[in-house]
Amino acid sequence: MGRRAAVASTISSAIIVALIVWFFWRAPNGANVRFFFLNPHAFWVNLTGDPSRSLYSILRCFETNVWMFMLCEVLVLIFGLGLAWLRLSRTPILAPLRVASAIYTDVFRGIPIILVLFAVGYGVPGMHAGWISQRTATTYACATLVITYSAYVAEVYRAGMNSVPHGQVMAAKSLGLSDVQTMRRVILPQAVRNVIPPLLNDFISLQKDTALVGTLGILDANQAAQLYGAKEFNFTGYTVAALLFLALTIPMTRYTDHLIAKDRRRRLAGGAA
Amino acid sequence: MRGLKSLTSLAAGSALVLSGLVATTSSATATTAIAQCQASFKSGHLPLVSAGKLTVASDINNGLYQPWFGANGNPSTGKGYESALAYAIAKDLGITSKNVKWTAEAFDSSFAPGSKNFDFDINEISVTTDRAQVVDFSNSYYNVQQSIVALKTNAIVKHHSATDLKNYTYGDQIGTTGLDYINNHIKPTKQVHVYNTLDEAVAALTAGQVDAIVVDTPTGQYMAAAQIVDSKNKPLATQVGQFPSTGEHYGLLFQKGNTLVGCVNTAIADLTANGTIKALQKQYLSIYTKVPALTPIQP
Repeated sequence: MGRRAAVASTISSAIIVALIVWFFWRAPNGANVRFFFLNPHAFWVNLTGDPSRSLYSILRCFETNVWMFMLCEVLVLIFGLGLAWLRLSRTPILAPLRVASAIYTDVFRGIPIILVLFAVGYGVPGMHAGWISQRTATTYACATLVITYSAYVAEVYRAGMNSVPHGQVMAAKSLGLSDVQTMRRVILPQAVRNVIPPLLNDFISLQKDTALVGTLGILDANQAAQLYGAKEFNFTGYTVAALLFLALTIPMTRYTDHLIAKDRRRRLAGGAA
Repeated sequence: MRGLKSLTSLAAGSALVLSGLVATTSSATATTAIAQCQASFKSGHLPLVSAGKLTVASDINNGLYQPWFGANGNPSTGKGYESALAYAIAKDLGITSKNVKWTAEAFDSSFAPGSKNFDFDINEISVTTDRAQVVDFSNSYYNVQQSIVALKTNAIVKHHSATDLKNYTYGDQIGTTGLDYINNHIKPTKQVHVYNTLDEAVAALTAGQVDAIVVDTPTGQYMAAAQIVDSKNKPLATQVGQFPSTGEHYGLLFQKGNTLVGCVNTAIADLTANGTIKALQKQYLSIYTKVPALTPIQP
């Protein structure tokens, strides 16, 4: 039975893939599209670059995307946690910060990231306000990614913290733990484990959104692909950039799915920590 | 040319006589060529998209600017370098100005492949080998020089020797000849900032994110005089200088394979020979010649 099911699913997958390939191959202008998006020569030039023609290596430019999201992910984790913590704090003296944190998440989850990028990347240096206005374009780009994604991640953290049963807090209090201790030792460990899959989802988005930093003149993979397109009238660079992003995001998505599945098994088995 | 050959064989004995003859004959050939074009227009053999009329395209819908067109952006006034030149070419081909019709064509779509609904497009279009693969161009009607635009407060305004120029941060628009000039001739030590639009590059310049932008002299002149200003409309930027031309030039754009380009080139040659083009450049483009020259950097 299992064998038959495997054979059936393999055959049906093969047929569907063949149909899709056939459709694109036989499209009236298919050859033209293949020339523009899947040109082998252009593929190679895009990957390696050609300084004599002012063409950049997309692989080298992709390094910018990689280090940028690695740095930003760490900062987003820290900053987002701070925001969520503030928002859930019950201390009266922190009330203004609680409100500020709520407004912050509302605002930055609501503005398209490219607009924040413009405002930060051109607005902050444009103010000529000393040190803060003299940073590099990459700094402003990272700041934008951290500002926006912290808002998303703060909400993920908050959901996680809220998912910890209130009895846990009561128990911690009865043991004589302070508010900070309760947060650190009781709520956070449980909350974070609950929200790892949605956190990783946000990081996949963050990886992709590093492709927007070209707006500030930074030569990332996407900008290099665009440059090739503008010079050579060929869009194969976009395919190269897309494949590089996939090489990065697919392992991450697979890992996230694996974690989700593992978490589900754990819960179904009775939810022992 | 057949006449020239027979004259050559007749005068084969004397080099002196020969050179005299060739000079007379070649100027006569130019006159004959334009006369032939005029005749073929009269007889209706000139390949025009609309019979008896010259249909000229420009980026009318996105605005036409001085000094290429008149102050009101209307191309049919004959004011401004490109408008005046279009009418001069028409006149040279024997087409009256009332038979010159203007049509709108966006800059980006002008050099896309395919059939065109105009005879030629005049829109400060630089001739590049990439573009020439899908459309045809006339000979040059304006040789483009690249120039440096920077904020008046930037060090580049005072220090711009060939070696100094390597040490600045440059910004430019994607796919422009200015960006190529930076990479091929200036070769800066710092990574160039590449923006999707020229406006973004200008915003980065104003914000101090880049030291300088390299654009063609006419565009740079407009940027320094009118685009980069403070809240009181006072110019913030200056055109530091211009580099010698690298052969980049503006050409009239034709649909690929349009044979009209032959007669238009004849007209351009004729207008160059009789001084019309020089006079029009003096009348409309003299502000550009005032920009100081920069030290050439060897490629």
